[in-house]
Amino acid sequence: MANSRYDLAIIGSGPGGYVAAIRASQLKMKVAIVERDRPGGVCLNWGCIPSKALLNSAEVMEEIRGAAKEHGIQTGEVSVDFKRVIARSREAADKLQRGVRFLLKKNNVDLFEASATIAGPHSIALAAAEGKPAPSASTIEADKILIAAGSGERLFPGMQIGAGVMTSKEALLHDRIPSSILIIGAGAIGLEFGYFYQAFGSQVTIVELEKQMLPGFDAEVAEELRRNFVKRKVTVLLGHAYNSMQKTGDKWTVTVSADGADKKLEAENVLVAVGRVPLSGNLGIEKAGVELERGGFIKVDDSFRTTAKTIYAIGDVIRPPLLAHKASAEGIAAVEIMAGAREPGFDLLSIAGCIYCEPEVATIGLSEAEAKARGIEVKVGKFPFRAIGKAIATNSAEGFVKFVVSAQYGEVVGCQIIGHHATDLISEVVLGKTLEATNIEFGKTVHPHPTMSEAIMEAALAVDGEAIHI
Amino acid sequence: MSSEITMPKLSDTMEEGKILRWLKHPGDEIHHGDQLAEVETDKADMVLEAFDDGVLDEVKLQEGESAKVGAVIATLLKAGEAPRPRPRLAAAPAKDRQAEAAQASAPSPGNGSSTEPRRESPSEPNLRAAFSGEMEDHANGIDDAERNPAMSVHPSSAAPTSMPRPPRRPSPEEESAQEQEALAREIAEDGHKFRASPLARRAAEEAGIDLANVRGTGPEGRITKKDIDNFLHEQEQFKFRRLVQPHEGAPGSREELSKMRKSIAHRTAQSKREIPHFYATVEIDMEEVVRLKKSLETTEVFDLDISYNDIIVKALALTLVRFPRMNASFVDDGIVIHPNINIGFAVAVEDGLILPVIKECEKLTLPDLARKAHQLVTKAERGGFTSDELSGGTFTISNMGMAGIEHFAAVIVPPQAAILAISAIKDRPVVRDGHLAISKTMMATASCDHRIIDGIVGARFLQELKRFLENPASLLV
Repeated sequence: MANSRYDLAIIGSGPGGYVAAIRASQLKMKVAIVERDRPGGVCLNWGCIPSKALLNSAEVMEEIRGAAKEHGIQTGEVSVDFKRVIARSREAADKLQRGVRFLLKKNNVDLFEASATIAGPHSIALAAAEGKPAPSASTIEADKILIAAGSGERLFPGMQIGAGVMTSKEALLHDRIPSSILIIGAGAIGLEFGYFYQAFGSQVTIVELEKQMLPGFDAEVAEELRRNFVKRKVTVLLGHAYNSMQKTGDKWTVTVSADGADKKLEAENVLVAVGRVPLSGNLGIEKAGVELERGGFIKVDDSFRTTAKTIYAIGDVIRPPLLAHKASAEGIAAVEIMAGAREPGFDLLSIAGCIYCEPEVATIGLSEAEAKARGIEVKVGKFPFRAIGKAIATNSAEGFVKFVVSAQYGEVVGCQIIGHHATDLISEVVLGKTLEATNIEFGKTVHPHPTMSEAIMEAALAVDGEAIHI
Repeated sequence: MSSEITMPKLSDTMEEGKILRWLKHPGDEIHHGDQLAEVETDKADMVLEAFDDGVLDEVKLQEGESAKVGAVIATLLKAGEAPRPRPRLAAAPAKDRQAEAAQASAPSPGNGSSTEPRRESPSEPNLRAAFSGEMEDHANGIDDAERNPAMSVHPSSAAPTSMPRPPRRPSPEEESAQEQEALAREIAEDGHKFRASPLARRAAEEAGIDLANVRGTGPEGRITKKDIDNFLHEQEQFKFRRLVQPHEGAPGSREELSKMRKSIAHRTAQSKREIPHFYATVEIDMEEVVRLKKSLETTEVFDLDISYNDIIVKALALTLVRFPRMNASFVDDGIVIHPNINIGFAVAVEDGLILPVIKECEKLTLPDLARKAHQLVTKAERGGFTSDELSGGTFTISNMGMAGIEHFAAVIVPPQAAILAISAIKDRPVVRDGHLAISKTMMATASCDHRIIDGIVGARFLQELKRFLENPASLLV
């Protein structure tokens, strides 16, 4: 294994790296992958998967809490073994992590558990990773190198993690329900944890610098989401800037400011969710001639090639959106382009973004405002779930579907869904957009009744003022 | 069975054609009317259309290669037929097969091959030539009206394939075959639905694009919006290339002649070499015409604008009715007086000019003429000529009035008898009733073939034209 030359060596085994490795192997490349932590990367171990397990627990909790009120089911007093909640989430991550190991093995991908630095155009130096034995080889040689190093939690200057201050990673292991928690940042991670903790009875306060939740998302969606959080007794402070935090006794005091006035907020825990940054440092890429862009992202061309000829990069480390499925899709694309099996280019507008709080949010393409800012003349069709039979029957009447289509051809420019199962519903729109369906095809497609998906059909019809049930 | 596709004769004078681009590729299904390839001829870039259904089997001429008219350029398999090796009919000299083709499609009696029994040639009926939006550089109708005596001896150069095929009663056998063909086409068209995305379909519809002309780059050749965008972009570029921009050329460079330049060079030199030109100029007072045009604009009696050129063409048509000898050709030591007045007018395009022809001008009213001229000029800008619209001229008018030209003489378009050169209408001093006055006048110069026309005929012709234009009421009749 040592010293043999690979066609492709991949740094990072997250959803970008391991998927690229499998695809490369399918394309008859000899592949090595280097991972310093656990196979599967952040997504599988510290992100998507364990957090979804927690959110699932939160949902069950909400169901049980609402059981008496909504369904007349008497539950008696409900108590929670929160350690079990956390443990279950870890089990899910472990199971999938083993799954990734299996997949890599099955596809003859050599996994090196070590930390990697690029030592030359064709070589990666390996060193023992934190808490792991020395690797079986000190270098690996490969024709091409693919950087899929991913991203890490962003912190503001002066922020110290520990003693009750957490990022999502610590929160995933924190097995006590905080009586109160202050969340800095109303992006996807902040909102998901906010939803999670409120479901288990924490006093949740979310502070966001921007004037809306989910900055950059459709304003109507953000407002609908805010209303739902407020309904769940979450305190949402928009337009508030974080200044500093201080431990006083066993609580944290966080100073924020809005309109020039300072405000002090107290909470047992603080969750910092102010975004993620590309892990482009400590890889030795500068010496290899790999240039960075604004924000520390690695600069790549249409073929995912960096400014160094033999080095490619994909996923969180190259550009937003920082999403697992985008990394996987880019990984497949990059490898196929290397193999000459695909034309260069990648359509970022076909990547859906999903947020798994309740109600869920799922979007693809541009929002109405973004489309207008780009000078695209658009028509909009919106349909609320409260006019959908299934939504009423299942107590899921929050939210709506919004289609943004070009005025000229009805091309799907974007679609935003907020509501239960929005993240599952969006795939229909993603497929339709990929196949270049217009709002007419969405409207003509007979959707089964009763389903939540009927709202997609109705919103598509609403574009031309032809929705039936409103 | 399989059939051969031969290089068709796309213009009267075409001898060989160059494949610019195959629009269909081996394995592609072909339907009647599908565009097969872009072919550069001496006159224009034209598009070959399929006359039969089937599957394109083999392409024998690569892009950029030329072949004589009649040479096999591709083979077509009938629907359902598996590709298989066939005896190469191409061993027969191209000319023979081409003659066969000509016989098969002889459009009218009087053609050298009309006495031959009509039968289908294996090749020619597969193809129909049509000018399309892709047309780029038509040359002069210089060639068009030519009635080369040689033609009647060589059937190979007769029968422009673009002419409508004569009606023919199908046999019962053929009728059932036709039914099947129709059925197959229906199925194929149905299948076609899956070859373009809904968005591409809609975009194509809005832009008026026939999807059959678009090459799909999506999965399995599916046409996507990007393909439509690219197609439109290409069209746009074609359009730009057709803009009336004289070709400049870089100092110190040498350029290969385009087919059109070659054709212009050949025909103008032939004209000056063979035709003894003489020139006569007359100054025409255009005051009345200017007034007429204004009054037509004011009263809006016609639903379209009438240009000076339209009025001049109308006057010319009326004049030619009275001077049939000006509407003639010197052919084979004889003078042919044409039965109809088909006026071609020169339109500048990049790297040359084209001569769209208004047929049977003697039968057209002024607004009819204007409408027809407007259509042709629009086509010159956007493409879409039929070959009929670029051929058959019996007299030509070249108008450089818009370029502010004082006076010029044009080169006769063989085998026409004369050409009329029109210069700018401008204020000039005139003597009216013994007094010096300022009037809007225009110089009209006739270049005449002295073998047909003597000076006095040319002079009277110009005087007659002058009379019509100075008394334009008659033009409205």
